[in-house]
Amino acid sequence: MNRLTILAVRLALLGAFLAAWEMLPRHGVLDARMLPPLGDVLRMLVDVLGRPRVQEAIGVSAGEFAVAFLIAIPLGAAIGILIAENDYLGEIFKPMLFYVFSVPKSIFLPMFILVFGIGFQQKVAYAAFSTVFIVIMSATAAVESVKADHLLVARSYGATRAQIIGRVYLPSMMPVLLEALRLSMIFNFTGVLIAEMYASRTGIGQLIANWGENFQMPQLFAGVVFLATVAIVFNESIRWLEAQCSAWRT
Amino acid sequence: MQRLANLSAARTDAGPTAIEVAGLSHVYDGREGKVPALEDIAMTVGAGRFVVIVGPSGCGKTSLLMMLAGLRRPSEGAILCNGRPIPSPDPERVGVVFQEASLFPWLSAQDNVEFPLALRHAPRAERRRRATDMLDLVGLQGFGGRYPHELSGGMKQRVAIARGLVQDPPVLLMDEPFAALDEQTRMTMGHELLRIWSQTLKTVVFITHSLTEAVYLADEVLVMSARPGRIIDRIAIALPRPRTYDMMATDTFGRLRDRIWQQIRTAD
Amino acid sequence: MRRPRPVTVRRLLIVAVLVLWEAVPQTGLIPELLLPSLSSTLRALIADWDKYGEALLVTLYEVSLAMLVACGAGILVGALVGGLKPLRDLLLPVFSSLYAVPIVILYPIFTAWLGIGSEAKIAFAGVYGFFPVMLSTAAGIRTIDPQLLLAARAMGATVPQQIGRVVIPASIPTVLTGLRLGGALTIIGVVVSEMLTSTAGIGYLVTRYRTILDSAHVFAAVFMILVLSILFDTFARYIERRTMVWQTAGRRERTDTADRRLTTAPAPV
Repeated sequence: MNRLTILAVRLALLGAFLAAWEMLPRHGVLDARMLPPLGDVLRMLVDVLGRPRVQEAIGVSAGEFAVAFLIAIPLGAAIGILIAENDYLGEIFKPMLFYVFSVPKSIFLPMFILVFGIGFQQKVAYAAFSTVFIVIMSATAAVESVKADHLLVARSYGATRAQIIGRVYLPSMMPVLLEALRLSMIFNFTGVLIAEMYASRTGIGQLIANWGENFQMPQLFAGVVFLATVAIVFNESIRWLEAQCSAWRT
Repeated sequence: MQRLANLSAARTDAGPTAIEVAGLSHVYDGREGKVPALEDIAMTVGAGRFVVIVGPSGCGKTSLLMMLAGLRRPSEGAILCNGRPIPSPDPERVGVVFQEASLFPWLSAQDNVEFPLALRHAPRAERRRRATDMLDLVGLQGFGGRYPHELSGGMKQRVAIARGLVQDPPVLLMDEPFAALDEQTRMTMGHELLRIWSQTLKTVVFITHSLTEAVYLADEVLVMSARPGRIIDRIAIALPRPRTYDMMATDTFGRLRDRIWQQIRTAD
Repeated sequence: MRRPRPVTVRRLLIVAVLVLWEAVPQTGLIPELLLPSLSSTLRALIADWDKYGEALLVTLYEVSLAMLVACGAGILVGALVGGLKPLRDLLLPVFSSLYAVPIVILYPIFTAWLGIGSEAKIAFAGVYGFFPVMLSTAAGIRTIDPQLLLAARAMGATVPQQIGRVVIPASIPTVLTGLRLGGALTIIGVVVSEMLTSTAGIGYLVTRYRTILDSAHVFAAVFMILVLSILFDTFARYIERRTMVWQTAGRRERTDTADRRLTTAPAPV
């Protein structure tokens, strides 16, 4: 299959999925109370996005997301680089990180609530906590992605430390860094949402959980469609950047 | 051993034919339309002969070998193996050894050699016996229990040869079997292969990039041109058998190698 | 001065954490409400062992069914996507786009559809664990060394024999990695869903004790989940290591990096 056919088939599949979502509940094949038709969901999405309370909630979530991100990235990067550059520290901490990584972070939510209450701070703290490990792992991977022979070549041509960082480390690490950015955004986003769904007075996650509990299906689906779209758009933009950067990296 | 070697040297083109290829051409569908890969190949390999095919990269040597093995079908032409066509792989008629050992990493050496027999549901005892015999033949007595990752490159290729021979096919096809080995191991393996060949009286078609290897092993060297691959020269290697390492230093050896090299250079 | 061996330092660190966990709350530096000491956590666990045991059974029941769903569906779809090139070209990029969507937002839909009993949790955790299993299986089948299949064909293997004797054994190590990641995710999925909306299970205990500010009991439940997930991880890694010897050997050197990153990408929970 060539690229055009693939694209066409993919669009056709998406179209069929959306059409089924619209038609099946509309004509009573599926229960419209359980699965509202796509048209109703989209109308509800427009309606909901116009409500001040929802706008405020989205603003709060975005704020939590941004602050958590600003904390997790530098912190995780610093720890990751330290572990990668220092063999001794690396040998001590890397095996531990693997275990920490496999442990579900969400079970620590109650601790964050005990310490920070259920406000803005707690969301930020938990989201940063759930993100920092992937940043550490990615930063370590980024440093290790720099090939030893490239460093050797640069050194043998008498590159200074600054030149090595600027001309070898950064270009080599760029694709991995973007990948790290992408993964940490996904983690951070999920962290904020889980924290809000678990215990919160505001935020888009809390709204979704609330709509679900009250069986407000059109609102619930509108929220899910909104968040899924935001996540995919973010993800695809970074992936696009990644593709631009890694053209040489076959 | 000496007697067997003399016997194989005495075999001539006049004897029975093992492989016969006539009017073989192959065209495959590439990205930019049809690509002619092989053109009008004709070759005859006498039973028990050791024929080496050399040629520039991408000349279709491997394609030709795949067709001889029944793994690929040519667009045109006929291949006869002991007088019969070979439309699909048949390890009882043709054994194949590939470049990388392509041993199954989850099977021990013994089980790897037994694999073709297991496919045919041969009785367990018979499988054991024949695989053990083959491992003995290739000089791997006692290594049957080892897994491929526990074997050196040369040992892996020995297992692959044992596997190719386990159903006792009259023909053995080898696609650059020693290409991944270091020079010393490669020489040893070439020598070992000649020993196995003289003990088993197989017909061997062997592909290589190494001219030294070609001259050292072959009764006859076929030189192929760049794509589309054609056979542009056949060079009989009249060195006596058994071959010895000293022969590589002789003038005859050098002249033969030079002649092949000239042909390949003009072919490219 | 010689530096102590990393393993020693690591062990000391773990001991230090345990000691501090006990000592700091004892001295009152941090109130027991925020950090109940190790001993009071263990006391809570032992005192209410019947409750915890019962909850553990509920969780384990949900986890095992969810794993069955995730592994069954994951291996089936993964085999199809990995084995059939048109499906692969069509779907793999779509899956990597979908990876960005936080699956947790689907849980309210599951509870609305299936109620707040075990069904919603099994379905949700099943979806959670499905993706890594599916992606690993697809990658495992896709990256089999073509030379192995060629060799099998040269030895006259039929298509069923190629699948049974080459494709399946060659993809087992990658599939096992997927089962480990997917299994871990189903545990997480079950616990998270129990924490969010539920009436039973360990996750539910975490939330219930939190609302009544019984920190020792919260920590005891969290501790159990930690042990559960680490036990599973250790067990899965052990199984994986046993098949690992041929993992690298049976594989093409150059696998699609994007693909590999996708299959080993951890889940955001």
